[in-house]
Amino acid sequence: MPNFKLNAWIIYGLFLCTSACTKERIIGYEIDQVNVLEDKSLKTKKKNDAEFISILYTNLYQSAISPNQLYKTQNVLYSIGDQDVGNEMLLSNYFNTSGITIPKDAVMRTDIDAFIINTFKRFYLRYPSEGEKVFFNQFITNNKAVTVEMVYTAFACSKEYQYY
Amino acid sequence: MNRKDFITKSGITMGGGLLAPYILPSGRLFAKTASMKADHVVLVMFAGGVRQQESVLGRYLEDSQGVSGAAGNIMPNLFEGDAPNKKIAYGTSVAGEPLGSEPIPRLLNQPMEKLGLLFPEMRAQSAGHYVGLNTLLTGNPGVSQGLRVRPSYPTIFEYLRKHAGFKATDTWFIGNGIGNSTPLLNSSNNKDYGLPYGGNMFAAPVTFSATGKEVLGNAKIYSNMDLEPMYFMKNFLDQSFALTNDQISSVSNTDEEKIQIKDFIKSVFAKQQTGQLAKPPIAGNGDALNMMYAAEVLREFKPKMLALNISGVDTCHSNFTSYLQNLHRADHVTAWLWQHIQYNIPEMSGNTIFIVAPECGRNLNPNPILDRNDWYSYDHSDSNARRVWGLMLGKGVPNIRIGSEAQPVGRLTDIVPTIADIFGVLDDVKNAGLIDPLARSLYQRV
Repeated sequence: MPNFKLNAWIIYGLFLCTSACTKERIIGYEIDQVNVLEDKSLKTKKKNDAEFISILYTNLYQSAISPNQLYKTQNVLYSIGDQDVGNEMLLSNYFNTSGITIPKDAVMRTDIDAFIINTFKRFYLRYPSEGEKVFFNQFITNNKAVTVEMVYTAFACSKEYQYY
Repeated sequence: MNRKDFITKSGITMGGGLLAPYILPSGRLFAKTASMKADHVVLVMFAGGVRQQESVLGRYLEDSQGVSGAAGNIMPNLFEGDAPNKKIAYGTSVAGEPLGSEPIPRLLNQPMEKLGLLFPEMRAQSAGHYVGLNTLLTGNPGVSQGLRVRPSYPTIFEYLRKHAGFKATDTWFIGNGIGNSTPLLNSSNNKDYGLPYGGNMFAAPVTFSATGKEVLGNAKIYSNMDLEPMYFMKNFLDQSFALTNDQISSVSNTDEEKIQIKDFIKSVFAKQQTGQLAKPPIAGNGDALNMMYAAEVLREFKPKMLALNISGVDTCHSNFTSYLQNLHRADHVTAWLWQHIQYNIPEMSGNTIFIVAPECGRNLNPNPILDRNDWYSYDHSDSNARRVWGLMLGKGVPNIRIGSEAQPVGRLTDIVPTIADIFGVLDDVKNAGLIDPLARSLYQRV
């Protein structure tokens, strides 16, 4: 009898050990990678002068504008009635300096589609629509004189670039 | 389609095609040009607060500082009258002589008063600078006009662009700086007018300053071959991002006008470099600088309408001597601009009407601040600050003096209807219902 009891306890103990030790399952959740981009129709706020100048400067030089330079630029642009004229001159002034970071014309011509997409993302923070892609592809392909500087000028001086 | 239908429809289409380009923004078919009195108007806003006593009344120190026998005219180019002969401090300084003891020689053979229409006693509608400038440009008393906002009522630039069909570069405002909301004066924020009809503007002493040169002076000069594709791409992008009228934040020039303005800015920097800018003989203050740049704009664009402001006399708040000197210089530079138009801009010579008026006056009684000559200073807040004058000369302007101290004639709100009258759009401006109901063209006051 005592042996029978001992065996029952051993079996019970083994049962407990095997049933309690379930393998732990590791559960993790992932999210799909999504690019967060601007929607043209949601750009309703106009950049103020300081925002416009500092964003443009950072875009082209890949570094921040100094507060002193920003202040001076703001004042000069404020002194001109047609802001487009001021912005275009400021931009062409920038293009006449060294230190500006833009792709070479050859890079643009090598892969025009990629250049268009990157330009839209760089200036407008969005992808181009199909119509925009076709327009720019055809325009750049058919006009050999078009340079990166010209395309960047068009984007930087456009209305959409003045909004966010 | 039968033959008759074809002829009728094609006739209508042709007629529409021919007429459509001539429809003005206001909806009128043709600009009203029959009664144009001159092709160009230059408005000098002789601002900063000018006391009647030292200007048109020629009282010099007699009224302001109680110096007996020290009356006299220190604005010899604008007004008639002998210069003072006592305590001369308003001129230029010569070594070895007391400061300001050398008056600037008169530029004009005859004072402007003898060449045109003088209203020696007009009424300003406010005693403040910004509202006063607003009044001169909008024809509205602007009692609710705030600072740091565009004029609430349409400016003369907008009236002319909308009703007379002027293009943007036909209308200019040359401001003397970017302080005091001055750059906002080229357009109102009125929903029926506003920036789409605004005039071009330079706050010239800033645009063409050393900083301006640093920011803009190195800009590339693109050829038309370069600009064409740039504007083509830009216009494509803009087409899909249309702005409503209230979102437009800048004056709109055509691509050709923009190119002209950019070339002009570059040319001014180049002329600065070589000392080729025409300037008044005595060009020692900001007012002279602004006149100089206004003259350049006149030479380049031959605008139909140009307004500019000066404000050197505002030193009167704390330095009466400086006020007198600046008043004397303002007279000099104003005369220089008139003379410059006559002798150096043939397209405008003999075909321009020149209007000069302060935006407000100054107080009857001084504040306690004394300057280096122990002369009291003056602010602008009482009824004396509403006393101003107005001068008009040029093509077809009669030589008359209208009104007197005892019998004031004219209001500063008259300036806008006067200019509208000159360009033949007075009815349109009045019918818009946005100018002072008491305002009248100065021609009607004669």
